[in-house]
Amino acid sequence: MTRLSHFLAFAALAASAPAQAAELPAEIKQAGTLRLTVNSTYAPMEYRDPATNELVGLDIDLANELAKRLGGLKIVWSETPFAELIPSLQTKRADLIISGISDRASRRETADFVDYLTTGPQFFVMAESEAKAATDLCGKKVGTIRSTSFPVEIEKWSKQNCEAAGKPAIQYVPGENSIDVRNQLKQGRIDAAVQGSETLPYAQQQEAGKYRVVGEPFAKGYQGIMFRKDDAALREVVTEKLTAMIADGSYKAILDKWGLGANAVAEPLMNAAPQ
Amino acid sequence: MRAAQTLAESFPDLSGIPVAREPHWFRWFSAALIVLALAAIARAFAGGQIEWSYVSRFLTAKVILEGIVNTMVMAVLAMALGIVLGIVVAIMRLSPNPVLKSVAAGYTWLFRGTPLILQLLLWFNLALVFPTIGIPGLWTARAVDVMTPFLAALLGLGINQGAYTSEVMRAGMLSVDIGQYEAAQAIGMGRLRALRRIILPQAMRVVIPPLGNEFIGMVKATSLASVIQYPEVLHNAENIYYANSRVIELLIVAGLWYLLVVSILTPLQMLLERRFARGTMQFAR
Repeated sequence: MTRLSHFLAFAALAASAPAQAAELPAEIKQAGTLRLTVNSTYAPMEYRDPATNELVGLDIDLANELAKRLGGLKIVWSETPFAELIPSLQTKRADLIISGISDRASRRETADFVDYLTTGPQFFVMAESEAKAATDLCGKKVGTIRSTSFPVEIEKWSKQNCEAAGKPAIQYVPGENSIDVRNQLKQGRIDAAVQGSETLPYAQQQEAGKYRVVGEPFAKGYQGIMFRKDDAALREVVTEKLTAMIADGSYKAILDKWGLGANAVAEPLMNAAPQ
Repeated sequence: MRAAQTLAESFPDLSGIPVAREPHWFRWFSAALIVLALAAIARAFAGGQIEWSYVSRFLTAKVILEGIVNTMVMAVLAMALGIVLGIVVAIMRLSPNPVLKSVAAGYTWLFRGTPLILQLLLWFNLALVFPTIGIPGLWTARAVDVMTPFLAALLGLGINQGAYTSEVMRAGMLSVDIGQYEAAQAIGMGRLRALRRIILPQAMRVVIPPLGNEFIGMVKATSLASVIQYPEVLHNAENIYYANSRVIELLIVAGLWYLLVVSILTPLQMLLERRFARGTMQFAR
């Protein structure tokens, strides 16, 4: 399916929604709680505030607002490594996943995504690096988090922009999480690093003047809220609330709070990421 | 004598009667329960959210095989480093020299006192403290070029193991009778030669079972090196499920390999034990 047809299907769904307002699944309604699992190593999307040890972040704020609008559900948070997010959803440890996870075709085998934020992998280097354009990184060591989709995207970008132009390919170096990758960059283990564009303003603010982005995000994608395939009811009711939040500006206010107003979407999209 | 005869005659001859076997009802019952429980677990695994085709496909995948080879290479090298350090430190610990004694105690204190994963992360990030290393004027290199994931894992695992092994070695040396030390001294052997010729060979017999135990622990401890990107089997299995989301399938693949390796190591340890127990075979059964 093309993106347009995805969008049309979604628009049709959204248009029919007011006629029969989506209902919260009885199980959740009865419990009065929403069980959410996050990987809290991805500031500013979700992380533990070093001062208070509270879970904070853009996703946390969005989830709290959604829960409020879903009839004042109480959120029960749990944490897990990034790679365990999908299993958490499958095993019903979590009702839905909102944890800085990119909508990817390969992940849609097991889940549906309601996309709520634009994102894209972004190269960055130490401020004093000689690299000016992204193609200066051809043949260099580039690190990223190995549990994400970024390694595959780097390889693809390198094929199209380095190897196709007769330059040596980027050498991918695995890292454990975004902090580990930045540590490898500081030590000179790698020449450049990649993380989601939505997390870079925060990292740059934490260590002012240390890093510099190179080029634009090199693949356009979306962060999505992840639902089980057979859980259309929850997906619909959350989409409805999210649409309302976009309409009344509360969505924009949360994005602005985290400095990511530029990453807003005009409306929630279903399974819309191009790859 | 006569009384004894009478006594024997007063008993009936039972020698021809077959001995009934005890029925052992409880053994049968508990064994049946265990078999039932195992069958139920097997059934759950067969019917759970597991695609068994992925397990069989990845069990012999190249990247998994490379992973298990890397696991074994690291386990053997780190254990070798640990044993060498362990022997040296144990000898230092038992030496009359107070400097050697306290250095050995300090080493054991430091490396037993902090978690292994913390030590691995420190070795891996050492370049944040020492950007370059080398001998001034002769040779220098960027720390990150030297401290590869392989070396960081080897030093982290081996030095940590040395702290534990030194205690095993010390126990072995203390188990050798004091008379052996005295006899070696009496015939004019130096301290080190006595250790090498008399004490350590006898200590080996005692230390092999705990060392085998430690080695099996080491095989699995290498999985911690996955966080510093050493491509051992768990690291490689994770990389596969990061891409295809088949978490439980790949964990089963890695688990089967660990079990296989440990199953091979156990009889090897017994062979080794038998060899070092040649002089005292009757106690080693």
